[in-house]
Amino acid sequence: MKKLKKAAYLALAGVMTASFAGCGGNSGDSASSNSSSASSSGTSSEAKVDTSEFQEITMVTMGNKPTNGRMEAVMEKVNEILKQKVNASLKLQYVEWNDWQTQYNLLLASGDSSLDLIGTATDWLDAWPNAKKGSFLALSEDMLKTYAPQTWASVPAEHWEQCKYDGQIYFIPEDSYTQWTNHGMFYRGDWAKEAGLDKVASFDDLEKYFDGILKNHPGVIPWDAAGSTNLGGLVEGYINAYTKYILINGTTTGLFNLFYVDPSDPYTVLSPYMEGTTLEDCAVMMKRWADKGFWREDVLNYTGETRDLFYAGQSGADQHHTQTFVSTIRPTMDEKQPGSEAQMFPWSAQSKNLVKTVVTHGAMAIGFNSKHAERALMVYDLIRNDQELYRLFNYGIEGEDYIITSDGKLDRPEGYDGTKDGLGINFWWGRTDKNELTDANWYDGKDEIYKEYDSYAIEYPLGKFVFDPANVSTQISALADVCATYMPKIAWGKNDDPKAEVANFRKALKDAGFDDVLKEIQNQLTQVKGQ
Amino acid sequence: MKVKKDKAGVAITVFAYIFISIFALACLIPFVLMVSASFSDENLITSKGFSILPRGFTLASYGLLFRSAKQLLGSYAVTIIMTVCGTFIGLFLVSMTGYALQRKDFPLRNAISFFIYFTTLFSAGLAPTYLWFTKYLGLKNSYFAVFLPLLMSPWLIILMKNFVKSVPYEITESGKIDGAGDFRIFVSLILPMLTPALATVGLFLALGYWNEWYNSMLYLPNVDYKPLQYYLYKIVNEAAALKNSLAGANVSVGSLPTQTLKMATAVLATGPIIFLYPFVQKYFISGITVGSVKG
Amino acid sequence: MAKSSAIKKTGRAAVFWKRLKESKILILMCLPAILYFTIFCYIPMPGAYIAFTNFNYKAGIFGSKFVGFDNFKFLFNSGKIWMLTRNTVLYNLAFIVLGNALQIFIAILLNEVKSKYFKKISQSIMFLPYFISAVIVGLLAFNILNYDFGFLNSIIKAFGGDPVKVYSMPKAWPFIIVLVNLWQSTGYGSVVYFAAICGIDTSMVEAAMIDGANSFQKLKYIILPSLKPTAVILFLFAIGGIMKGNFGLFYNLVGPSNSALFPYTDIIETFVYRTLMNQFNFSNSAAVGLYQSVFGFAIVMLANYLVKKIDSDYALF
Repeated sequence: MKKLKKAAYLALAGVMTASFAGCGGNSGDSASSNSSSASSSGTSSEAKVDTSEFQEITMVTMGNKPTNGRMEAVMEKVNEILKQKVNASLKLQYVEWNDWQTQYNLLLASGDSSLDLIGTATDWLDAWPNAKKGSFLALSEDMLKTYAPQTWASVPAEHWEQCKYDGQIYFIPEDSYTQWTNHGMFYRGDWAKEAGLDKVASFDDLEKYFDGILKNHPGVIPWDAAGSTNLGGLVEGYINAYTKYILINGTTTGLFNLFYVDPSDPYTVLSPYMEGTTLEDCAVMMKRWADKGFWREDVLNYTGETRDLFYAGQSGADQHHTQTFVSTIRPTMDEKQPGSEAQMFPWSAQSKNLVKTVVTHGAMAIGFNSKHAERALMVYDLIRNDQELYRLFNYGIEGEDYIITSDGKLDRPEGYDGTKDGLGINFWWGRTDKNELTDANWYDGKDEIYKEYDSYAIEYPLGKFVFDPANVSTQISALADVCATYMPKIAWGKNDDPKAEVANFRKALKDAGFDDVLKEIQNQLTQVKGQ
Repeated sequence: MKVKKDKAGVAITVFAYIFISIFALACLIPFVLMVSASFSDENLITSKGFSILPRGFTLASYGLLFRSAKQLLGSYAVTIIMTVCGTFIGLFLVSMTGYALQRKDFPLRNAISFFIYFTTLFSAGLAPTYLWFTKYLGLKNSYFAVFLPLLMSPWLIILMKNFVKSVPYEITESGKIDGAGDFRIFVSLILPMLTPALATVGLFLALGYWNEWYNSMLYLPNVDYKPLQYYLYKIVNEAAALKNSLAGANVSVGSLPTQTLKMATAVLATGPIIFLYPFVQKYFISGITVGSVKG
Repeated sequence: MAKSSAIKKTGRAAVFWKRLKESKILILMCLPAILYFTIFCYIPMPGAYIAFTNFNYKAGIFGSKFVGFDNFKFLFNSGKIWMLTRNTVLYNLAFIVLGNALQIFIAILLNEVKSKYFKKISQSIMFLPYFISAVIVGLLAFNILNYDFGFLNSIIKAFGGDPVKVYSMPKAWPFIIVLVNLWQSTGYGSVVYFAAICGIDTSMVEAAMIDGANSFQKLKYIILPSLKPTAVILFLFAIGGIMKGNFGLFYNLVGPSNSALFPYTDIIETFVYRTLMNQFNFSNSAAVGLYQSVFGFAIVMLANYLVKKIDSDYALF
């Protein structure tokens, strides 16, 4: 009996090794066949434009799949036009906001051949790490010229340069769309007046504004933030407001970015997280703010939607960028809280430390495994450049989702409520000014804000620098973990002694290999400078 | 026959009543809070806190949920279909395997048992599993990605196996003498004797399906109707989802009773499975007993 | 085993094959399970190789560059792995030991209760928490513990006390998590044990009582020994998962962002998940997962070996 058992185990072991081997072999094969198909589609740019075969193109976009039926109605019309013009149809693949970092990266990692068009961005959606990991198909100039001719012609060479890694173009920039994505704090003009403030232009003003809310509006939480969606709180804003340093894109350690340059000397890396007293000052202020109750005690576990609470008059502030302010916040506040005179305090208000939106704040890539790369480019070219399609895709059906006013502006039909009738296609990967309509509802003070920004904003000086973390990936992982551990505590004042917490943070960063990473970035910067 | 109790015995009995009552109460209170909050007025909850009795009784939250019932009903349908199909198919497969694996005359039973048990110790990890599911099995946005992984588990098979052991081997023997095949013996002789075990394992399977949220999050971003618990997870963790879920209802977002709505959704997401319990309780208890005592 | 008399000494292998042939149908009956575990568990398993690579999406897992133990470095260098291992093992030990103790305790008490209705209703109620998903557990916990409108604080305030900041008190969390786990699992476990007690031959108990045994003696000599098999089985199952945390429970209770609590609440699973969320590094997270599997495997083998030595009847395999 015992021996029988043994025999059975041996047999089992045999089966298991067989299954291991078999499986390994299989996946190896399919991996190689994938890469060959990818390269073949990369070299076929010489081919003539042949659209005889109908193809379905999938586009990855961010957001929750809308449930109000508008998206489906619009896509039907979009597909009618696409069928007729390029014999293709378009399908949307949503990446939901819930744990979106995980979902987005898992989706790209799957290398699914159905991923044709992939929305991405270098400053908030990890376009570079993904390009380096092989998520995207390298786009040859011939391909772009042949299949996306209008786009190719409209994007200037220096913008293509900013989409290159190792000399290859990996995505198409959203470079002809005017938007300011610099962050700041939205606040209520009326409540600021009550607190004796003309406007909020510094963190000290903000503190007075919040103090005023606590005093004048019991029950309102000055800034009812949800820490889980903003682990770093206001630290980045604070650095922006009190230094002239600017962030280097693509050197993130997890969800944080520790590495900056001084624009007057853009090839020398530095880190306000490690040097100077900015971080300490910030930590002390945030601790004070936390103790005063500017946000909830349970901020790091709270999941409320600050913006909705701001609209409802239950929160005194909300944090995001200028584009959000002029397009959404101010119009909505004027409607929901008449007389609130919502304003924005951009972090750069006093430091004048402002970088123009990078051309890759939105971008479109092609999946490395896409079977329809050519047609996908054609579809993209149309959506971006064909005015009828563009407006359909971005605004919806004229008369149902939007109307054009007599003076040629975009307006919404009677009874339209943007919070629930929205289209939700979220095409943030190729908008262009030439096809945009001026939105009648947008804040009319926007030109003034833009003019002020224009007066001091600088171009991002390191557009062509793409950091390659391969040599320090272990250290970067460790730094990411250290940041995720300390930053929420510092940023939300969840500590007993903010200065000590900063000191501990710095020590942990050092231990995790901060200096190695700093040195590696410096080396690569020096190399780029030399070119 | 009656045995007289000693004093300690009486004390123990009294203590038993008290202790169990307290513990049961502790089990119950969070549910009471949840139900009462779902009937409460949002403003009173956020200003005064949760309470045992509803604060300012109102049906507003349920009203809102039913005004946009399409999403919720869709989620119910998905979850109920999955739970019912999964439970029955799973039960059949688990009991069949369990029966075969305890047959003393089956030479491979130990090997196969180990083959199954081993999977509880090693797993491929998130990324390889995700790649396998989506790239090779093509299960992205397919309900099967959620349905299949819950169909069987080593723990349930071993539970079933232990239970089948209590069915006398003579029954199998007699079937053999009558010339019935192994499968026939299983279906017509063994299965009818397994009712308690089937109730037990069935309840586990049903709970597994009903409470699934994690795989739904990974694999079902683009389906119209999310399984119920994931629908709830989204509502709990993401205000935008709440907004989305009420897209049909004519309410403005600022006035949404967030807390009480979450509670009402939670009540609706829990209710049906709890009501299932009394129906299977009888079998369930005897089922666990025999299954967990290794013969 | 009736046929064994006919077996010649040399024919063991032949007999094995013959019996294998005879059990064709049984093999077929196991086939769905074998296929199932092969497809869903075994085939992706070699993918754990990802932990040793610098994973490149285009190249796939097996085409990516092999980097040896690089991905394990950051875990071991920072000492994080010890904290995670400690937390995971300690939490599980607490769950197993306290859980089983409370379950047995309640089962014994249930046995003392004579009212049929009380028994049935209390069991049903205690079972309630077992039925709800981790999502709801997290939600209920937040309702009770949160600072602004939690039930706990509304009671404290009603009695004139100062509200407690539970989500800023890391040291409270081991107790909270263990309590929640006990809350959720005790009902189920005590029913299991209670059922085992019910299985005791009542005549034995009565005989003992007539012989003048008191309640404690009854407990010590009859009831507790009868629970041993159940306890050992449950224990062995639990040991198998000692390196695995109840991810859903921890994740929904603590959340992904309250880092002040992590030193006390982080277990391997939550860390793996956050690594993925914060760094998008599949190789790193797979490295942690692999460490977990190997360590867990060693523990199970050890536990099984010990159990086998003490009483081979109870061994898992």
